[in-house]
Amino acid sequence: MPQPHPFWAALALVLLSPFAAQAQPEPIKFGQVNQADLTAAPFGADSAAAVVLCDYGAAQVKWGADGSMHSETERMTRVKILRKAGYRYASLEIPLVGGRKLTGLRGFTYNLVNGVVEKTKLESAGEFTEEIATHVRVFKCTLPNVREGSVVEFAYSLTAGGRVSLPDWQFQHEVPVRWSEFRIAYPDIFNFKTVLQGYLPLAVREQKEGTARVMLSRWAMKDVPALREEPYVTTMNDYVARLDLELASVNVPGRVVKDFLSSWEQVDADLLHDPNLGQLLNQGGFLSADLAKLALPATATVEERAAAVHALVRGAVKYDGLATTYASTPLRKLYTDTHRGNAAEINLLLIAALRAAKLDANPVLLSTREHGRVAASFPMASRFNYVVAHVALPDGKDLLLDATEPLLPCGMLPERCLNGVGRLVMANPQHSRWVELTPSQRRVHFQQAQLDLTPQGGLSGKVHEEFSGYAGATARAELEKDGEPKYRTHFASKHGAWTVPQFAVSQRTNLLKPLTLDYAFEQPADAAATPGSLYLSPVSEFLAEQNPFRLETRTFPVDFGTQQDETLMITLHLPADYELADRPKPSQVELPDGGGRFFYSVAVEGSTVNITSRLSLRKPVYAAEEYVHLRELYRLMLEKQREKLVIKKKA
Amino acid sequence: MKALLPLLAALPLSSFLLPAVAPAPKYAVADIPAALREGAHAVLRADDEVVTVKSAGRLVYAVHRVVTVLDAAGDDQGRHSVSYDALHALNYLRGAVYDADGRLLHQLRAAEIHDQGVGDAGGNFMTDVRVRYADLRQPQTPYTVEFDYELTVDNALFYPDFQPQDEEGLAVQSATFKVTTPAALPLRYQERQLPKGAAVARSTAAGQEVYQWELTNLPAVEEEEAAPPLAYTTPAVVLAPGAFEVQGYKGTAATWQGLGQWSYELNAGRDVLPPATVAKVQALVKDAPDARTKARRVYEMLQGSTRYISVQLGLGGWQTFPASSVASNGYGDCKALSNYTTALLAAAGVPAYVALVGAGSDRPDLRADFPSSQFNHAIVCVPLAQAGKPDTLWLECTSQTAPFGYMGSFTGNRHALLVTPKGGQLVATPRYGATENRLQRRLDLFIDDKGGATATARTLRTGQEQDLYAQLMHELGPTDQKKYITDHLKLPTFTLTKCNLAAAPATGAPGIVETLGLALPGFAAPSGKRVFIAPNLLSRLPALPAQAGERQTPVWLSDACLHADTVRLHLPAGFRPENLPAPVQLSTAYGIYSSQYAALPDGGVQYIRRLEMKRGQFPATAYAGYLEFRRKISAADKAQVVLLKTES
Repeated sequence: MPQPHPFWAALALVLLSPFAAQAQPEPIKFGQVNQADLTAAPFGADSAAAVVLCDYGAAQVKWGADGSMHSETERMTRVKILRKAGYRYASLEIPLVGGRKLTGLRGFTYNLVNGVVEKTKLESAGEFTEEIATHVRVFKCTLPNVREGSVVEFAYSLTAGGRVSLPDWQFQHEVPVRWSEFRIAYPDIFNFKTVLQGYLPLAVREQKEGTARVMLSRWAMKDVPALREEPYVTTMNDYVARLDLELASVNVPGRVVKDFLSSWEQVDADLLHDPNLGQLLNQGGFLSADLAKLALPATATVEERAAAVHALVRGAVKYDGLATTYASTPLRKLYTDTHRGNAAEINLLLIAALRAAKLDANPVLLSTREHGRVAASFPMASRFNYVVAHVALPDGKDLLLDATEPLLPCGMLPERCLNGVGRLVMANPQHSRWVELTPSQRRVHFQQAQLDLTPQGGLSGKVHEEFSGYAGATARAELEKDGEPKYRTHFASKHGAWTVPQFAVSQRTNLLKPLTLDYAFEQPADAAATPGSLYLSPVSEFLAEQNPFRLETRTFPVDFGTQQDETLMITLHLPADYELADRPKPSQVELPDGGGRFFYSVAVEGSTVNITSRLSLRKPVYAAEEYVHLRELYRLMLEKQREKLVIKKKA
Repeated sequence: MKALLPLLAALPLSSFLLPAVAPAPKYAVADIPAALREGAHAVLRADDEVVTVKSAGRLVYAVHRVVTVLDAAGDDQGRHSVSYDALHALNYLRGAVYDADGRLLHQLRAAEIHDQGVGDAGGNFMTDVRVRYADLRQPQTPYTVEFDYELTVDNALFYPDFQPQDEEGLAVQSATFKVTTPAALPLRYQERQLPKGAAVARSTAAGQEVYQWELTNLPAVEEEEAAPPLAYTTPAVVLAPGAFEVQGYKGTAATWQGLGQWSYELNAGRDVLPPATVAKVQALVKDAPDARTKARRVYEMLQGSTRYISVQLGLGGWQTFPASSVASNGYGDCKALSNYTTALLAAAGVPAYVALVGAGSDRPDLRADFPSSQFNHAIVCVPLAQAGKPDTLWLECTSQTAPFGYMGSFTGNRHALLVTPKGGQLVATPRYGATENRLQRRLDLFIDDKGGATATARTLRTGQEQDLYAQLMHELGPTDQKKYITDHLKLPTFTLTKCNLAAAPATGAPGIVETLGLALPGFAAPSGKRVFIAPNLLSRLPALPAQAGERQTPVWLSDACLHADTVRLHLPAGFRPENLPAPVQLSTAYGIYSSQYAALPDGGVQYIRRLEMKRGQFPATAYAGYLEFRRKISAADKAQVVLLKTES
């Protein structure tokens, strides 16, 4: 047990050197390069552009002369540049947001010249500070004399005032890291909570009490592989090896313990009291005139009323693209004057409007796919970056609404929101809870084709195509972005052999209906065809011909966000006197645990051939272990869809 | 002055006291002629650009711009950004937005204008460029935005251009351009693609000359395949100075000679190297037999000891850093590295010049008939000769990996301005045609009797064909090279069992050899008794979309190349080719294509494909022929060999 010390004594010692007490020397000494690192010694099998030899951070909470707390982070990074593509590691960019201060910047380039280490210093001529926007500056510098084989290093200190906090630490980067170490030191009146994320093990994990009531922690990773992006993920930030730190509580002896990471219930209460969030929810009075104009019949269901209010708000304001949880413009001004706002402003306006229309609407806080998952162990409002509306339906189901997207109907969240769970915040704290964001709408694509084959092999057809759910949203967005003529050109470029005499898009504006294409096409006969026998793989004309899962292996889950369904039904009319020589076998491929299936069948009735191909993926997210099955399912499906129909003249 | 202040302070208040009368609607959507809505996502209702030349070193550029956004695809017109820097002061930016009936919806407030540094935009490390940006997009279309801004320009090397129709889907109802210049500074201008009757109207008043242009009722245009950039098809007036001055440096742009002279003088005396560097160069080339070898050694030294860091601040955007600074820091931008290289070459006794060029693989050649600063990059030209004939060497100084003397699609096939002590001189950079830009591939496909296949492919790419692959080879490690190549092969399901990129031995244009091993499970799955194999696995050229409506623009084919593929199919026992596709031979003004198949003695099949694409510019009427050429190639590229399972 530590001896009871006066509070100030502990802090005074922190001001000296807390890390000295750790007895662990720093992993590298700035300015002293290991000559072996300057030779052409092997630096891992990856032959990357560069290798981070050592990345070292030491952060501490300090007590300033004026009695305020601040954090100070010393950073030292040494990088071996292996190829010219790695020259970017000889430059540094540090964003300085708010009152963050950069001090003690030093840098060196080391080269081995005729067996002698040549050391070149960072010069102020290579240093710049740019004012990006108010309160956002970026400091940039670049080292001189950099070439292949150079070792470069930077050291600096960042000080941040305001609330007590320690930075997060990222062990993994785009290039391999030989050693990455992070240390923290803070007076034991504080309690920090840490969460390690990613798939990689720690080489060091120490936590101890130093002298004078200072808590010391140390983490390190050794030989960290480069982080490689994979398709169909939320954000790579969810998978990178990283340590997150948050202040959990302060316990000054003799005073009440103050919790910062108490519970989600406390977060709920704080959000409800926030003047830029919870306090806006009942300020929809100014909407009553416009709501009255909706003239909803008394018999309207909750869903019908919600949809009408949603359409009113969606049509009145435009999303400026900023995902956030707090409004910075008064809702009335948003609605009557600027007509544009961030996600919070629009959806808080939506909740206020729903409430003004006497619906029980409440906010659901969430983190977008790009922002990453919400760690349940960090009950903090800052883990959210988006808010949508919740309306309880009479049958107990949850209706989630978002008014930022003009092309999404009521009850459908934008794809950016399809990220696990969201926090429903209710006035009655007992009723606040987590809600699933997984949508009931799928990504559905349906095609039905009536095809006629000529004896020469020419093909013509009439096709009806529907995009529903999230597929409808994607198709409508493309149409809106390009306009119909360009959309049609893009369509035509997928079928270079076709002429398309008819092409009609319908249900562009009725968001509750699938977006529909109806077109006719003609494909001339292949001049080289052998008379009497025709080979045709009609299915592959209408569906993607490449496996989307290109790499053999997968490290991270496959996250589509939604379930998917892709159906094609072909009715092929053969020329008179022709018949199918070989009938393709039906096929059915299942994913384990009912995760999805591919179904294919061929039926012949006289001179008519009916082909059905259907793919259903029933999970929005597949584990990395399921990847191999998913890839194989696609392989077998593509193989089947490529299969030729052999059509012969009847004997 | 002070007495005025209370009055000014009172102004906003007095406006509140005015009776609340709504302003008369302007720019109602109903006033747009129907012909202008055809194919348009937005209509430029008014675009009034006024250039006032104040002196040889300063001009003022004021713009009043009103755009009606018709649908969501035109929404980008609802926001506007203006960039400015040390030599371009933005005096004001104002805006307003109106509803479909022309009623004012919202007046842009100062607090709604974003002001942001964009110092690292465009691959720069640091610049002084900032942007002011206003967003007036509305939830409902149509709506109309109005923007007003004015710039004071202290870089009179550039005069503003007038080309209101600068993107597709934008119709122009009315656009005017007015230039006022002192009689002593006569305007240089070039009218391009102007409709009849839009030519300049000139007047003189009080020692000022006034030039005016007006464009009305231009229907929206659409960008087409294989077409020139819009800059070459929609009406434009391009301006350039005669006598001009930038930060005390005076010159004339009236001739290429004069423009080059100005650039030479701006950078004069900045080519002095530290004695140590001079000594190093001299030692390096001491035993070199000729100027070309000397230049090669200097270039290798440059590539091994410098890198590209672009810093553009104030006049530094135009004037080079001294050669001594590159010598000590080991970095610089294109101007600084080119200047440093000419200094190194001078130390080696090889005369060389910096050359200014408009770089970019999609950028057409400069307009030689209108001397003006049409450049964005600097390279080095070394005028060598071999056997009495010019054998000019060109050097790209910002790349640490570019082959010696190779320009590629970035700076080749165009004109550059040599900067010499006697002034500027327009010269051609190397041209890369079908002889240089080649792809030669040999692919062996081994089919097994289980319906699977494996393949090996060796591909030699040279000239512009290798530009991308050289980048992959130099900038990515093997793992990422493999990932890139895997992501870009157009095959159903496959795994790369081998993947390697290597520089080809130097013979003429630089080359890269790509060696691939492929596992293709299920690739040769039978359909009944037959197996269908399209031997062209990797070299398919897609067809172009059918033309909708009449072709408007000429056909520009900018790159010449030659692709030669040989594919051998190796069949398992028990299979024989039932049917080989007929040979195809196409010979057109756009290119030449042939494909042929042959049964081999070992029972396999050989496929040979040859495609030569020509560089050229053709009238719009030629597009149908080009389309047909591409359609036939695409069909031939998909042809299948039919293999029959023999009864056994």
